[in-house]
Amino acid sequence: MNNLTIKKFHEGLLKKEFSAVEIAESFFDFIKTKDPEIKAYLSLGKDEALSQAKKVDAALAKGQDLGILAGVPLAVKDNILIEGQPATAASKILENYQAAYDATVIKRLKSAGAVFLGKTNMDEFAMGSSTENSAFQITRNPADLERVPGGSSGGSAAAVAAGMAIAALGSDTGGSIRQPASFCGVVGLKPTYGAVSRYGLIAMASSLDQIGPIAKTVEDAAILLEVIKGKDSLDSTSVDLNKFQNSNLKIHNSKKLTIGLPEEYFIEGLEQKTAKAINETIKDLEKLGFKFKKISLPHTKYALSCYYIIMPAEASANLARYDGIRYARREETADAKNLKEIYFSQRSGGFGKEVKRRIILGTFVLSSGYYDSYYLKAQKVRALIKEDFNKAFEEVDVILTPVAPTQAFKIGEKTENPLMMYLSDIFTIPVNLAGLPAISIPTEKLQAPGVPLSPRLRRAGKHQNELPIGFQLIGKHFQESDILEIGQMYEKMTNNQ
Amino acid sequence: MSEIDEKKLENLAKLGRIELNESEKLKLLKDLPEILNHFQELQKIDTTNVEPMSGGVSQENIFPEDGESARLSLSADRQEASGVKLTDAFPEKENDFLKIPPVFE
Repeated sequence: MNNLTIKKFHEGLLKKEFSAVEIAESFFDFIKTKDPEIKAYLSLGKDEALSQAKKVDAALAKGQDLGILAGVPLAVKDNILIEGQPATAASKILENYQAAYDATVIKRLKSAGAVFLGKTNMDEFAMGSSTENSAFQITRNPADLERVPGGSSGGSAAAVAAGMAIAALGSDTGGSIRQPASFCGVVGLKPTYGAVSRYGLIAMASSLDQIGPIAKTVEDAAILLEVIKGKDSLDSTSVDLNKFQNSNLKIHNSKKLTIGLPEEYFIEGLEQKTAKAINETIKDLEKLGFKFKKISLPHTKYALSCYYIIMPAEASANLARYDGIRYARREETADAKNLKEIYFSQRSGGFGKEVKRRIILGTFVLSSGYYDSYYLKAQKVRALIKEDFNKAFEEVDVILTPVAPTQAFKIGEKTENPLMMYLSDIFTIPVNLAGLPAISIPTEKLQAPGVPLSPRLRRAGKHQNELPIGFQLIGKHFQESDILEIGQMYEKMTNNQ
Repeated sequence: MSEIDEKKLENLAKLGRIELNESEKLKLLKDLPEILNHFQELQKIDTTNVEPMSGGVSQENIFPEDGESARLSLSADRQEASGVKLTDAFPEKENDFLKIPPVFE
């Protein structure tokens, strides 16, 4: 079960090696024994999951054709709505809220027959890089329980890495899918802005947020994207990916692609081990026939400041809706006597400290007298960052970078210094600002406990319990196919050695 | 950086409908100047003639067709069928109407 991918599950199901109900039940059993130490899930949806699995088994018994996602057990980040289930965004302010409708991605996955095991832990309202900002629990990295799984989609990444789900959904505003994927040793894809509908995603920063898959293989991530992507009339920023995609690209053609290496990403702050792992990956890709070219993205170093102005500005506006009126009220707010007291009591007691910090920061950069020098300036710099990428993509087809400057850090190491924590996203943030697609792929396959190391890893002097490191491939707008194909070629190569 | 002092912080909190306790205030008065100081690097960049980017990839207007139900998934029929209603989240209600304290007192 630990090694099940979407593809292996589908084949096993069709060959009747197991039923969808059996697999779902064994996942719930495993979660029961494993999750007390990882704490990836905030809530489980066992009844709905088993009834969905039963439907899949019945369809198969009747000889109906099953899609590739039929019966596949998935985990879902707790800021994505599933009708009738809690959606807390890991915040006390939504502790009692139950979703009244399905997010578009959930609706699409449901019609594909997917099974939802439960909702996963995250930084409150997706604000954080370690999942330590959850109001409910701290999730631990399955590769080292003393370390963070990354964030904000830390629960989803940890669940997949620990074998508590075959794959998962996360959301990525500044790296929240890719950085935890890198820390946990799984694959995480942030699609082009607009490629996937955001309807039913609890909004943080609407011009940056995207939903995307977290999976064990690049192939699985591609399978999930295929189902969740597409134009949706309920999200006016969504687009039809196929309309833009240069779909004639075949795998043998991707060898002709040139990969850019931006000098601004290979900097002093990059940890030795990470730099070494990235260099080995570059060598591997060279062996596959890819050409590399040094490029420059000169405004990279301003991306962090730019992001931490734009994101809180949008978040402070988006979070205004949690007023104690519309999304269930906290018990502590029951005594409030008038409207103003309801607002203040609900929000002061309901939001955690990072959320408050960003509301204050966002309110400040938007306030009269500061708007021009902060918010407007950041929007202009954002245009320059996007322009950097546009220029680079005239010379290269894909860009390769590290995902994070370090491996997973220790729990508690950065909680007291917000600026330090913000710096863990420096390599992922520019992608969101420019709206590009990017994927995080482990530089070495995560080994399930008890599985011997591959000869390739042994030759490289690796040990069983080393912390994972991911590399990032950034594609042109709507050219998810480029990064997915290169990723699959890399994966095939490293699996076969 | 003197852009945020205690008085200004209290005003920002009020605008955000948040009450800060003493320790939250102390922490924010320490963190915020540090963060804002970091932002100063943006002032060095020449952005003359640069159009601000408000987000997204395609910057064009989008109009739904007249008559298209923008919120299909919330149709009364569907809510009837699923048994879950948006109004279930209302803290106080009469029939399906939201009940709130007086807005003007």
